[in-house]
Amino acid sequence: MIGGKIAFASGMLLALAGGWLAFPRILYQTRLQPVNFSHKIHAEKAGAKCEDCHSFREDGTYAGIPTLDKCSGCHAAAMGATAEEKNFIDQYVTPNREPQWLSYARQPENVYFSHISHVKLGHVKCEQCHGNEGGTGALRPYQQDPISGYSRDIWGRPVAPVGLRTEGGMKMDDCVDCHRRQGLEYSCLGCHK
Amino acid sequence: MTTTRRNLLKFVGGGAAGALLTPAPWRLITDTALWSENWPGIPRPGHGEIRARFTHCTLCPAGCAVRARCVNGQPVSLAGVKPHPISHGALCPWGIAGHHLPYHPARVRQGPVKEALAAVARAISQRGAGERVAVLDLRPGRTVSWTYRRAMAAIDNGLYLAPRQPDYSIDLNAARTVVSFGAPLFDGWGTPGNVFAARANFRLVQIEPVETRTAALADVWLPIRPGTETTMAAALAGETTIAEAARVTGVDEQAIGAVKEAIASGPAVVLAADPASPLMSLNAKLHAVGHTVVARRESPLPEAWKKAAPATEMAAAPDRAIRVLLIDESLPGGYVPWQEIQPKLAANAVVVVFSSSSEGYGRHAQCVLPAPVYPEAAEDVGPAIDTVAAVFRIAAPLVAPVVPVVNPGELVARIAGLPQTDPLRERADAIHKAGCGTLLSYADGKSTPLKAVTADDFWKTLNQGGCWMDDSGKKAAPGKLEFPAAGAQPHDDLPLTVVAAEPRHSGLESPLMSKLERESNLRMTANALAISPADARSNGIENGGRCVLETACGRLIVVATIDPGVPAGVVEVAGGPRMADLCGASQRARVVRA
Repeated sequence: MIGGKIAFASGMLLALAGGWLAFPRILYQTRLQPVNFSHKIHAEKAGAKCEDCHSFREDGTYAGIPTLDKCSGCHAAAMGATAEEKNFIDQYVTPNREPQWLSYARQPENVYFSHISHVKLGHVKCEQCHGNEGGTGALRPYQQDPISGYSRDIWGRPVAPVGLRTEGGMKMDDCVDCHRRQGLEYSCLGCHK
Repeated sequence: MTTTRRNLLKFVGGGAAGALLTPAPWRLITDTALWSENWPGIPRPGHGEIRARFTHCTLCPAGCAVRARCVNGQPVSLAGVKPHPISHGALCPWGIAGHHLPYHPARVRQGPVKEALAAVARAISQRGAGERVAVLDLRPGRTVSWTYRRAMAAIDNGLYLAPRQPDYSIDLNAARTVVSFGAPLFDGWGTPGNVFAARANFRLVQIEPVETRTAALADVWLPIRPGTETTMAAALAGETTIAEAARVTGVDEQAIGAVKEAIASGPAVVLAADPASPLMSLNAKLHAVGHTVVARRESPLPEAWKKAAPATEMAAAPDRAIRVLLIDESLPGGYVPWQEIQPKLAANAVVVVFSSSSEGYGRHAQCVLPAPVYPEAAEDVGPAIDTVAAVFRIAAPLVAPVVPVVNPGELVARIAGLPQTDPLRERADAIHKAGCGTLLSYADGKSTPLKAVTADDFWKTLNQGGCWMDDSGKKAAPGKLEFPAAGAQPHDDLPLTVVAAEPRHSGLESPLMSKLERESNLRMTANALAISPADARSNGIENGGRCVLETACGRLIVVATIDPGVPAGVVEVAGGPRMADLCGASQRARVVRA
């Protein structure tokens, strides 16, 4: 009788441990960014602001991650002596090969998000959604849910507090929470077109 | 503790219970749901540069100007073009979802092109004396229509068939009173943007038995007894007394008198659901001709095109004489019921249809060849019924055809041995040579006199988003507005009058629109009808039940809705080619329990 209870409890404990501790770690595929880019160096040494590289086009659409042209404007030749910069110039700038950045913030096809209405009209700071990306010394690995195909940053409730950032948020719940706090409309068709 | 089967089962049971208390199974369920929505067959717009491109909608003759938001060259949303003087930035729901059509699951994706060409060539060479080769053009007035006409002129005994095209236009902006006999003014008639832009300036009197969407939005709705419209027209023209009209039509005397007064007080126009209805002759009696009803203006044509076959109505074609019939059903347009076509075909006729759907004439043809759909093909759109100016606008393709398609114009030209040219460019050059009118560029909203533009720039602007218009000169009166009345049909065994609920034959429509409109009962689904509670009771028909709709042309099993808004003696029928075949040539029907 006691043996049976122990077997049941063992199975339960094992499943709980697996579900809460192991599952969040094995759920996501981790991939490294093509270049070890430092936002911090660019912000502190070059005095760059977010919008210098992540700009709006003339028609108001958001350009997102800058293309190689933007980088080549400054890095046609090495500006410093770091191995990362030399690697970037050799592998991308010189052969004119576009780095295949992995976007943490890429939303699914059925989501419409307007940067300009949030940044220019709503005066939302970049950090509010993206976190303190601009102050990091290196790009964190990109984590993707292999089943849904979505970035960890944009989809799913936090499974467990493992490897999660506490600031910012680009998930649907974050959008709804922010709109609700500010008394703004948050119906489905506002974002899902 | 010993390892027994019982303990092992308890261990598994504990594991299952524990798993339910973790996020893992719940997360896997939602992730799997998302994964199942992302099958490889679903088209995915690529990521890339966002650009605006311009074109014109070809889903109906209105030809509204369209601004497409394209990501990486792929249109992802469509909207109107605000500075356009005719469409005024408006797009109807079909137009807004038009970019879904190339991916429609029911689209014809392949067809026996070589076999069809061989069969047509064989039939042409073997046809007997007097046997005809014909093209049925369901959207006449386009440049490709002139290709068909030229092709039929080049073939011995060629025949260009088309539904009757009115030679008039309606100037809604000049009207203060619009009397509509069932014309769906706010539901697909003319150019939606133009109608709504003019709406503030006219009073609409809608005369029809059923309270349609247009009737609901009209200033006055006169629920007339079905089939008595001619008597009402006679009363408005002063040819019969108001009292007599009230007795026959069932409309209140005062209401008829008020309409008559409104007509007399200022510029008026009379519209009918069928532009070739005898009711249109009322305009002549109300002195609207030359004011609100004006001559339709065509854009200039190349001189060589004028030696083309004339347009013939199906009814005028000789019986059992058409050996080869090529039907252009590539764009939504008119629909000639098959019962009118069949008697014209020779015994061994070859019928080839160019279409994106096998639901239309494809049901009766030997071959259905896949045609491009909007917005895959370069087409032009002729002036709509409410366009007073001469216009030329090109629907530039926004996407390459997603299935192998044949171009109907090119194929017919090839069959007739016409030289392979670009008819759109030839027509643009002819317009440029004429030198009149202005060119409106959508990108900057600028209007430039055509004389100040080179032929190449004119062509470039037309393809990149522009429209040529010529509204100079005095309004001319059209030809006589006299159209023959349909023959009276026996009533004895067909007691109900058929009223079409759908304003037009729409062809393929976006699955999103089907979901929104048909499944939400905003519009009738295909093969459905609505009937009054009294008629349903007397025929033993239940709401949502199956029943048989019978007309002089045949019978069809349909789903019935009992609608108190439908008056007794009327059956309101859905759209679609099957219903058009059944009810297109017959206005009388009966409904019996299936």
